[in-house]
Amino acid sequence: MLPTPYVKCDYNKVYEPAEDSFLLLDCLEKEQGFLNERFNNRLAVVCEIGSGSGVVTTFIMQNKIIPQERSIHLAVDINPWALEATLDTAKLNSCENSYLDVVQSDLNACLRDNQIDVLVFNPPYVPAEGVPDFPESREQADQWLDLALLGGKDGMAITDKLLQQLDKILSQDGVAYILFCARNRPEEVVKKFLKTHNWNVKLIEIRKAGWEVLSVYSFTR
Amino acid sequence: MKFLTTNFLKCPIKACDTSNDNFPLQFDGGKCQLVQDESIEFNPEFLLNIIDRVDWDALLKVAGELGNVNLPPKKPTFPCTVPQLTDVGMAVLNDLHIMLLQTSITEGEMKCRNCGHIYYIKNGIPNLLLPPHLV
Repeated sequence: MLPTPYVKCDYNKVYEPAEDSFLLLDCLEKEQGFLNERFNNRLAVVCEIGSGSGVVTTFIMQNKIIPQERSIHLAVDINPWALEATLDTAKLNSCENSYLDVVQSDLNACLRDNQIDVLVFNPPYVPAEGVPDFPESREQADQWLDLALLGGKDGMAITDKLLQQLDKILSQDGVAYILFCARNRPEEVVKKFLKTHNWNVKLIEIRKAGWEVLSVYSFTR
Repeated sequence: MKFLTTNFLKCPIKACDTSNDNFPLQFDGGKCQLVQDESIEFNPEFLLNIIDRVDWDALLKVAGELGNVNLPPKKPTFPCTVPQLTDVGMAVLNDLHIMLLQTSITEGEMKCRNCGHIYYIKNGIPNLLLPPHLV
């Protein structure tokens, strides 16, 4: 089993790594061979949307899920505190020799179309009345944190937005890893996605975590 | 933000997607602070993979705005593998390494060539989040 990065952040400001984060790590470990073969002789632009503490992006760099000389890493988050935390976590785990930049953005809004080869997304998936508005100032830390959790109707408001953009985000060979909880009704989501996309969607991992059932699906053309 | 990252960012305003001017963002050289960070070591294989991928015209534009006018106007071609590289080729790759991977913009401004909206880089982190009235 590959080592998990050491993380030390202020969890009043950024999402604390939990079962969902660790499930993604296990998925990426499982997918290492596949990813290496797919991006065997070329650059892979790896992008995590919603990097939070940076545990997932750091795990990818630290364990060379795709080797250093074949990957650049972009970590995107809407929460300014998360971007600093992501940089700190990478540093804390001696990833300075990997290419990492962090960008403050709402999902993929600032990313050029069809440039991402590996997308990792652990969305705000908790069903809620709605999706919170962006806080007005950087100091409203708890409100930034809410954005990492609350996913509106069925917890799918944000994931739906991303799925609609997936064709624009991923490169031709791109692969996306997206996490769901059972209340998102992932089987139905996948079925609906496949009605409009002639893609391959695969269940990589499913795990009971406390009273939640979490799963990660991969999406490829 | 490392120089190379400018090759992947566009203006987040939806209306600009239909223009060809939302990428690359235009840098205000006078307001940009650049630093050299040597933590990424030179690896010719990495550079070959990167060159293969980059949009050279966009790179040229941004380099010019940041005061580097020494880039070849066309994307240089290299042999496919590192052992086939000449000394000259290796030197060119090393220069590109210094520019693309070791040069960071720590403070500065970048503007959409289409809508003119300005985005800021502070403490090395670009902020491309839009104010609510522009979403």
